[in-house]
Amino acid sequence: MKTFGIVCSLIMLCGLFSCKHKEGEYHSLKEKIEEESKHYADPGISSEAYIGDINTIEITEGEHTFLIPERKSQIKSFACTECHSKPLEQMQNEPGEQKAHWDIKMNHANANAMNCATCHNGNDMDNLHSLTGNTIDFNQSYQLCAQCHNNQVEDWKGGAHGKNIGGWAKPRAAFTCVNCHNPHEPQIASKWPARFNTEKVKERK
Amino acid sequence: MGDKKKWFQLDLGLNKKQPNAGTCGCGKTSGGCGSHAAEPPKTGHAISSAEFDAAVEQELTQETMVGQTRKDGFQQVFDVKMDRRSAFRKLTASLLVGAGAVHTSCSVTAGEETKEKAQLDWEEQFKGNYKLMTEEEKQATVDRLVRSYQLRKKENIKMTATDASKDVLFGYAFNISKCQGYMDCVSACVKENNQDRNSEMQYIRIHEMKDGEGFKFNEADDNYYHEVPAEGHFYMGTQCFHCDNPPCVEVCPVEATWREEDGLVVIDYDWCIGCRYCMAACPYDGRRFNWSKPEVPEEEVNKNQHYLGNRLRKKGVMEKCTFCVQRSRSGKDPACVEACPTGARIFGNLLDPDSTIRWVLENKQVFRLKEDLGTEPKFWYFMD
Repeated sequence: MKTFGIVCSLIMLCGLFSCKHKEGEYHSLKEKIEEESKHYADPGISSEAYIGDINTIEITEGEHTFLIPERKSQIKSFACTECHSKPLEQMQNEPGEQKAHWDIKMNHANANAMNCATCHNGNDMDNLHSLTGNTIDFNQSYQLCAQCHNNQVEDWKGGAHGKNIGGWAKPRAAFTCVNCHNPHEPQIASKWPARFNTEKVKERK
Repeated sequence: MGDKKKWFQLDLGLNKKQPNAGTCGCGKTSGGCGSHAAEPPKTGHAISSAEFDAAVEQELTQETMVGQTRKDGFQQVFDVKMDRRSAFRKLTASLLVGAGAVHTSCSVTAGEETKEKAQLDWEEQFKGNYKLMTEEEKQATVDRLVRSYQLRKKENIKMTATDASKDVLFGYAFNISKCQGYMDCVSACVKENNQDRNSEMQYIRIHEMKDGEGFKFNEADDNYYHEVPAEGHFYMGTQCFHCDNPPCVEVCPVEATWREEDGLVVIDYDWCIGCRYCMAACPYDGRRFNWSKPEVPEEEVNKNQHYLGNRLRKKGVMEKCTFCVQRSRSGKDPACVEACPTGARIFGNLLDPDSTIRWVLENKQVFRLKEDLGTEPKFWYFMD
């Protein structure tokens, strides 16, 4: 019985060691990441300095808390009520008035699904409003986008969609929807590549 | 280090003026750095060949350095017992540098700066493998490189040798649905990493592939020039994947490339012999070779450098993406991530359960290239 025990423990020992490959103690990278992150302690590296002079606000969406750029200070001639002192109908009706916002083209969904009033409230120009008429702050305009583009917004919250600001370390800062997409024409235009490698062409002749 | 100097000390008489003042941390003061020894000069200005012989002999016969258990690169070579003749044969290449240094030191016309340059070159020539250097030795070589650049180009650079942090393992994700083939990443990478402008070296390749046909690298075009995104095509980028089990490291005969603790696969450009074994071993075409002397216009040189990263390379050595070690180790995103206008590139710490890269790995369908090889690249692809 005693010898049996010794043999058993020997076999177990062998088993233990044979699992260890020379490259490390884990079978796969996945396993390594899982194991080593169990005892994760913040390495104390900060990305704060790389956010630069972008004003940010903190938002919390579900389990994600991160910074996004503050928007209102970046909108030219905000607050809107500085011009929109009267309800929209009255402004439109004034004859001979210069049309404002002539440069805004709407190219976002079709006219049945969307018009200006889908997001803007003619009676409260300083805020946006949701489909159900709830007020949405210009700083939180992603909530407006989330009404239709839910998948994208979910990816954005997790970090799979959109662009990180500054660095990979904490605090996390990400651009919000309108920093990349023009809400009136959200499609990103095509362009020419940034470079062409003439040496590669020669090499491959 | 002091009198434990591992190589023959060439003293051009500069040391007397700067007795271990530790002035060179910033590289701005004159004089060589760190490694100037308190050791009594073995040679004067006029080094005779006999003295040189004797010194080399002394090095060869000396036992391994006192109190050191680890062998560094110098000892690995010189601990081998050999006769003087073969030792000298081995030394020939290095002696060329020495000869130059001795020549300038003997010259009456050579100025202080020329002598200092020669001194720096000498010390650089005989430094050990970076992996085996102590903290002070790392700092000393960084200081020498900074000073050397200052003497040659009259410009100051900032070079660091920041080590990997604990609890950091860098990983990268690439969104194939987002990449539009703009190649802004390539441009940013070339600038950030001081890549050779003559040969138009680039670490990143963006491949234009046909929709619905999967990855066909043979048919892909990585040097397109037309408006992008092109109809019916998708784009994907490749670069060094910083494998966790890197085959390039295995094959290096001189251990000039290795995997750091934070997962970065790096190269010591001063230890690389240019055999290109690693280039052949890499299944991802991630490595580049300097066939000619890399040239970067002075005004375009990125002066924020890391010893293992974007410092200026020389002819005949390998280089590759380092996930911008000079940026990433201080918390900044690599240049390609920062430059990408589409947000297709995601970078972060794989060990941080709250990081965005971890969210991507856990919530998106991710895959890697040639996963079956067991190289464990830390570069994942995914789609929306």
